[in-house]
Order: sequence, then C-alpha cells, then structure tokens
Amino acid sequence: MNSSETIGRIPNRSKKRNQIKRTFGLLAPGVLLLLVFFITPMVLTVIFSFTNLSLTGDAAANLKFVGFQNFVTMFKDPELANSIWKTIIFVVFSAVIGQCFFGFLIALLMRGKNKTFRRVVGLIIIAAWVTPEVVVSFCWVAFLSDGGTLNKILVSLLNIKPIAWLYSFPMISVVIANIWRGTAFSMMVFQTALDDIPAEIEEAAVIDGASRWQITTRITIPMVRGTIATNIMLVTLQTLGVFTLIYTMTGGGPGNATSTLPVFMYKQAFVSYQLGYGTAISLVLLVIGAVASLLYMKVLKVKV
Amino acid sequence: MRQKNSIKIAQYIVLGIIAVLFLVPLLWMLFSSVDPHAIQSIQMPSRLTLDNFKAVISDKSILRSFGIGLLMSGFQAIFVVLICVLAAYPLSRYRLPFKRPFMLTILFLTSLPMTAVIVPVYQMFLYLKFQNSLIATTIFLISTSLPYGIWMMKNFMDSVPIDLEESAWMDGATVGQGIRKVVTPLMLPGIFTVGIFTFTGSWGNFFVPFILISSPEKLPASVTIFQFFGNNGLVNYGHLAAFSVLYTLPVVVLYAFSQAYMSKGFSFGGALK
Amino acid sequence: MKLGITKRILAITSISIASVLLLAGCGNKSASDKKDKTTTVKIAWRYTGKNDSMERLYTDKWIADFEKKNPGIKVKLDPIKATEGDYFSKLDLAMKSSETTPDIVNEDSFILPSDAKAGYLEPLDSYLNDWDEWSNFTEALKSGGQGSDGKQYGIPGTTDSRGIWTNLAVIKKAGYSEDWAPKNWQDIIDAAVKIKKTQPDVIPFAASVSATNGGESVAMQTFEQLLYGTGESLYNEKTKKWNVDSKGIESSLEFIDTIMNKKKVGPSLSVAMSANFGSVIYQDKLPNNQAGLGMDGNWNTGNWVKGGAAPLDNVEKVLNFNLMPTQDGKKPGYVTMSGGWTWAMPKNSKNHKAAFKVLKAMNTKEMCLKRALYEGTLTVRNDVAKDSEYLKKPFIKTATTALQNAYFRPKSDLYPKVSIAIQQMVEAVATASKTPKEASAKYTTDVQGIVGKENTETQK
Repeated sequence: MNSSETIGRIPNRSKKRNQIKRTFGLLAPGVLLLLVFFITPMVLTVIFSFTNLSLTGDAAANLKFVGFQNFVTMFKDPELANSIWKTIIFVVFSAVIGQCFFGFLIALLMRGKNKTFRRVVGLIIIAAWVTPEVVVSFCWVAFLSDGGTLNKILVSLLNIKPIAWLYSFPMISVVIANIWRGTAFSMMVFQTALDDIPAEIEEAAVIDGASRWQITTRITIPMVRGTIATNIMLVTLQTLGVFTLIYTMTGGGPGNATSTLPVFMYKQAFVSYQLGYGTAISLVLLVIGAVASLLYMKVLKVKV
Repeated sequence: MRQKNSIKIAQYIVLGIIAVLFLVPLLWMLFSSVDPHAIQSIQMPSRLTLDNFKAVISDKSILRSFGIGLLMSGFQAIFVVLICVLAAYPLSRYRLPFKRPFMLTILFLTSLPMTAVIVPVYQMFLYLKFQNSLIATTIFLISTSLPYGIWMMKNFMDSVPIDLEESAWMDGATVGQGIRKVVTPLMLPGIFTVGIFTFTGSWGNFFVPFILISSPEKLPASVTIFQFFGNNGLVNYGHLAAFSVLYTLPVVVLYAFSQAYMSKGFSFGGALK
Repeated sequence: MKLGITKRILAITSISIASVLLLAGCGNKSASDKKDKTTTVKIAWRYTGKNDSMERLYTDKWIADFEKKNPGIKVKLDPIKATEGDYFSKLDLAMKSSETTPDIVNEDSFILPSDAKAGYLEPLDSYLNDWDEWSNFTEALKSGGQGSDGKQYGIPGTTDSRGIWTNLAVIKKAGYSEDWAPKNWQDIIDAAVKIKKTQPDVIPFAASVSATNGGESVAMQTFEQLLYGTGESLYNEKTKKWNVDSKGIESSLEFIDTIMNKKKVGPSLSVAMSANFGSVIYQDKLPNNQAGLGMDGNWNTGNWVKGGAAPLDNVEKVLNFNLMPTQDGKKPGYVTMSGGWTWAMPKNSKNHKAAFKVLKAMNTKEMCLKRALYEGTLTVRNDVAKDSEYLKKPFIKTATTALQNAYFRPKSDLYPKVSIAIQQMVEAVATASKTPKEASAKYTTDVQGIVGKENTETQK
C-alpha cells in the first residue's frame, strides 16, 4: 500500500528514470550475492538431481546423466510418502499449531503486565530460541533420558517406571522440542502486533459491556489477523527445513518414525552416498514450500 | 473489580508456569556445568565447581574457535543488515514490476535446507579456489541469510511512514541522506531483529563451515563442539555442559543488550494497517 | 549529486566483492606455494574425543624427531572432529581436489574399495616394493587394504576380532562358573535369560542395533557376526553375487528378535538407540557389573587400559572375552568378522613421496606396538605379534585365536550401500517394527535395487 502511494507523488519522467537506476543500485549487492552464491548452486542442485552423483564408488569417478531415474526411484520409494507425511505432521503440530498458538497466548497474556515480569519471562522464552540448535537437542536428549529431568519428576510424582520418550514417543518428543525452541519467534511477532492495537478500541468495547473473551475473539484477533497469517507462513517455511534438531535428537528414528524430508534427504545423500538421489528429494521440499506458501496466500490472504 | 483482579492473578500464574516449563529443559545444562561429576541424568551438584569451565577455557583451540565464530557471525550479521536495508528500500518504497515474483522467489528459497546445496557450493568453491577460506565461507553464509533478511526488512520498512522521509526531501535531502538520517533510526528495531536473527543462525551453523573449511585451526565453535560428543570416547558431560553454556552465552548477551530495540522488530502486519 | 548513492553503492559493492574474492583466492595460493622447499604432509583421521589414540601416538615430540631426521618435510595433524558418517563425507569431498586433500588419510577397510573405485586413492604397490618392512606385515591381513581390482591402496594399521564380552561377577551370580564359554547361540540366550532372572537390574545382553547411531557396527559387529556363524556369507566372492532371502539371514534376525523382543534380554531401547550406546555399555555398565554379556570387538580393552577412557585394574578379574560361537556349534566352533583401519594416500595429493616417508615412520614396529597397546586393537605386524609386551595384553590370546576363523567384509565398492540396508533391517527387527521375515524380504528388494537383481542369489 505504501509503495503505491509513493509512486503517485513522484511526478515526472526523469525522476522515474532516476528511481529505476536507484532501484538497481540498491538491489545490486543483494541480488549479486544471491545470484552467485544461492541461485547458481541451486541450479546445479537441479542439474545434479538428473545425475548419479555420489561421494564414493564408481559413480564418483564417472558422473552420468540418468534422466528421470532418480525421480522414478523416488516416487516408487515408500519412504518418500512416509517422509512427506512426517514432514507435514511435524510442521503442522510444531509450527502452525504449537508455536503460533503458544506464541499468541503468551503475547496476549503478557499485555499490561508488570514490566520486569515481562522482561524475565520474555528472556527465558527467548533463551530457548537463541540457544544453538545442537545444544538445544542435547539438552532435550538429556531432559528426556531415562534419568532425565522429566522422568525424575514423573517418577517421583506418579511413581511410574521411567518412560523412554525418544523411542516410545519420538514424534511427540521432537514436536515439543521444536515448539519449545520456536515459540519465541511467534511471541515476538504477536507482541509487536498487539502493541500496535490502539488502546481506545478495546476500552470502548469494555464500556459497551463486552466480556474479555468477546473482546479477544471479536476485536483483538481480527485486528491482528494479517499478522497471524503471515506468521503462519513464515514459521511453516522455517520449520520445513529443520534438520539438525531432529537428526541429533532421534536421527530420524526409531525406524523412520521421525524421518522428515530433510532427514530423508540427508540420509540418502550423505549416509547412503547417493547425492544425485538426495538432491532430487530436496526438490520435493522446495515444491512443498512453494505450494504451502501459495496456498496460504490464497486461503489466508497473506500479502507479499 | 475483584473478579478482574483474580483474572489478572491467574494470568500471572499461567505465565509463571509457562516460564518455568521453558526453563526446565535448560536446567540440566546449568547444573551439570558446575557439577564435578556430571552425568546425563539430572542431579544436584554435590558441590559447586568452576573446573569444567576452566578445562574448556584452558584449551587454546577452543578459545580460538570462539573467536573465529564471533568474527564470522559478527561480520555476517553486519553485512546482512547493510545489504538488506539497501535492498528493502526500493522494494518497500517503489512500485516495481518484478516485485511480487521477486519477493515470492526469495521466500521460497528459505525452505531449502543447507544440506541440499552444500555439495554444489563445495564444487563451486573448488572451481573458484575459495576452499578453506574463512572470508569466502562468510560471504556464502551472508548470501544464505539474505532471503529471510530482505523479506523481514522489507516488511518492517513498510510500517515506517514515508511522510517523514518526504519532508526531509522537501528540505533538500537526497534519497541517500533520507535513508541514512530518517529511515535508519526508525528502522533500528528491524535492524536489530535481522542482525540477531542472522547472528543466531550463523553461530549455530555446523554443516557449512564443517564442509567448506578444511584446516582444524580455522573452524568456528559450532564445529568444535563435536569433540565433546566423541562416539568412542567417554562423553565428559561436565565439559560438554560448560561448553554449551559458554556457547549459548554470546547470543543471550547480544539479545539482552538489544532487547529494548527488538520489541518492535517483528512487524509483519503492515499489510493490514 | 542526486544519483550519488546509486553510483557509490555500485562502486563500493563491486570493489569490495572483487577485493574480497581476490583475497579469498590468494590466501590459498600462497599457502600452497612452495617458496621454501619444505613439503607439509597433512594427516587426517577421525578424532574420537579426549584420549584420542592418534594424538597420544603422534605427539609433538614424535613429529619433531621425524622432522629432524627428514629435513624438508613437515608433518601436520589434521584430525576431523565429527560423527563417523560426516567424517567419510568430508574426506570424500576433500579428496576430490589437490587443493583440499590431506596427504595421508585413515580409511576404514570397508569403504576403501569404494573410495579406490572412485579414483580417490593412489595405488601403493610400487612404493611398497621398496619398503623392506612390508614383509613384516601379516600376509592374510594385507587384503584389508586392497581394492576390488586387487591393488594395494592402504597399509593396514590395525585389525580386530569380535566375541562375547562377559562380566564374571554377573555370570557367576546367574549360576555359571567363571570359565563359562558359549558353545552355540542357544547357550548365549539361556545365559541371558538366567541373568535376567537372577539380576533384574542388569542388562543381560547388549549388541549394537541402532541404524542411526551404530552405523557400520550394526552391520558388522551384530549382523555379519551372526550370519557368518550360520555358514553363509554376505557375498560370494567367486560368483560375485550377493546373498539374499536365505535361511541364515532369517535365523540371524531371529536371534536378534529373541534377544530384544521375545525374551527381552537386551538393553532398554533408550540405551540401545542412544548415540552413546558403546560408551555406556563398555565404559560404564559392563565394567561396573551392570551388564552381563556384550557382543563387540576386542578393541574395547582400549577403554580399560591405563590412560584409557575408563581405566580398570585387573581387568581379567572383572571381565572375560569369549569366542563367538557358531549358530549350532559347528566346527571350528567359533567365528569372527575382521576389519580394521588402513592408512592410504589420496591420488590428488601432490606430496606422495614425502607422504610415504611419513607413512613408513608411522608404521614402524615401535609405533605399531604402541598403537596396539593404546587402542586394544590387534597388530598387523608379525614382529609385533611376537613381542612380549604385546603378548601380555589382556585377552590377547582369545582375540588372536578368533582370527584363525576370521572373515572379511566383501571387497566390493557397493558394500557401503548394502551395509546401510543391513543396518535398517537389524533396527527394524530390534525395535519390533518388522518381523524377521518381513525385514528379510525388505532387505532382498533393497539389495536388488543396489546391485541389480541379476547379482543376487540365495545361498544353500
């Protein structure tokens, strides 16, 4: 919206030409870097997905184009359907539902609270977000282990046998760990949006005798609807590529219980040394990301 | 009125519980780092000790890896912010014919995992003779952070009103001066947000430096942490926890410093206003 | 100037990118420039954490001594700190170019044929012909360093055998004598069941079953160790065909199923699937009477020696190393897989001559003896095998006896891929997500996909 207003205020032609030049100048460093270090390797990735590229063995010495063979193998591989399914579960529960819900809830509850209290709570939640991924997964492995904090608490409270969380409930474990790690992002997004709501609107509703629940559902949420939609899209894209957290916590296992697409791709490319095949899998991820974004834009009316 | 108060107290309690839940998984790390006999299970340290920290700090190669990591991530954050502010300006302020596809493309790029592109990147590095270069690795990392950075920065700039800029132009300022003197100060929250986001991502990045850097003495802290996970060796949990605490510290400190600026940095609702 | 900013940004961008790119490029060239005529030989191996044996072997003093004797050569240790999988990936990428390759690499014998086939490794035959000490290396073990073309690509550094580690206190409490030795698989299962009955808190029997964290050890220490005890093998070196859908494969899987699921005498899944499975069992549980039996390699003695990760006095009073029996005790009554790590020279290294000098110094009698003592591995040199200090090593007699009926993994560049299929098969059975029959069927399709249907057969 802002941009369309701008254009109206720039009247003559030479100004417009300047604007174009300026645009190129300002975009140049970013676009140049993206072209060289991001688009080029991506094009190579696409090309490699049509080869038998491998890190070792005969194929490493003789790179060959194999046409659509990797894609044929992939679509015949039952692991692919499993991975797509696991990816969707992981993204929907940990990001779309978990992070967004808790992020919004915390942001909502934090409104109008004591400043120091807000700071302390905020810092604790954000500490989870800024903690490096490897450390996060190690903390969670320790937290969920037989003698870990969670089992210690459960054993002393309920007097049950320790539960092997990572093996009995692997997907739930990684989903919760990812909610824990990512909620801060959504919380901050929503805090910013909620702070921007003019106080008068809600005050007026209070005077009209609206209940707290009514205010939240009928005024507050509709007012930040745009932010909610954008945030859902952003966390979806962020979560699709999550690899380190899952791989270091469960390695995609037991079996293939937590083998999301990035994990499946890594296993094929670097554990089974089939790089060509691995890159083909990564393209599926790209397609899912694109489809999801377009869907969000259509259904939730996310503006880009 | 009393009802309102009790609701407020209930909210404090709920928030308090959430905070505790978020803190609990970190307890193991904090306890073990000062425990002389740390194990994988959580336990109260029999006595407090700083030996674990001393052992980690006394290893010169670890200190060096921290230094390298700080430099890499620091430069990366600074350059990403710079480039993103520049790129976000025309994307936010002008009507451009290719804007929508451009924004969409960079958004999609963010979902590709690093593991998918690392081998092509490695071969490109070989071709350009960039291998084992910290500078080239940092430039690559800068590039990978750009899509998200540009996207966030553009969104934030959308929420900065253009009127102030325009009045500066009226006073005879150039566009460059407008960006520097008017937009940038208002953009500080966005700048800190993108900066911290980039720094955090880079600071924890294992795979890229591991593959692209071959000399052990050039590796950043994100890679050296793996020496504490030795498959064959007995894991020294105390050292691992102490390393983890030290490793987490820079990002937490950085955040604490910029907290005031960041509170407004996540503005994505611009479209609705 | 209204357009100042555009031009300035363009200028600054192009200058800074150009200069940075130059810097990045130059930095490397000057490093590999041979201005001062010294050659630096870089040695890469996988660092295994504190007490890493290579670091203890090739100390600063050793390097200084070598450099004094060989002016013009500098030795640089480049340990790679990563998981085993990442280690191989990194090494394979590095060996692709002369700019990044180490000059000496530590290669597991299972991946060596594959890396040789990829063209990463330099054949050593011509170098070895001029090395008088090469004849001191055990002839039968040299094949561990050979490629599928029969050329020698690696100098064996260590070898190993596998058996049943037994905790004496636990086995005694279960009602056996200390010299308990299993004659067949059933003996093992019976003992494990008795241990479970008498000592419910003890892990009766431990074997590596996690595909994710165990990797090659699942294929070799667990599955192949069983399969070769049924009289079958993984691969027929004569017909060049892979064994699938056989009775031996199924009964090996059934053994795992019995241990983990039917009798539940294996470790809990959280131990079995843990990334630290090996160190938990062999550094903590087994030496502390909390585990009874463990199917693993003789090198675990390296944990318990002085300076090891979990030093143990009088280890032979605490533990015993039993030979791995064949399925039903068929002669010679025991079996073991054997492997080990080798030292190889990447083809793309520019310093082959200097590197080979370093290799020779790394594999002298003295260094090989030290290595065997530090690691608990078996020596590959005949002269070391006769050394009195070596013979004093705990459990050395059994470990060496086992070698008399030792099998090696297939010398095929496809083995690493088949190994992955084995690991998944074993994990599926261990976690009860597939029955032995289902897992074996899945293995058949997997292997057929890897090697081609025409290259498989069913043994016996």
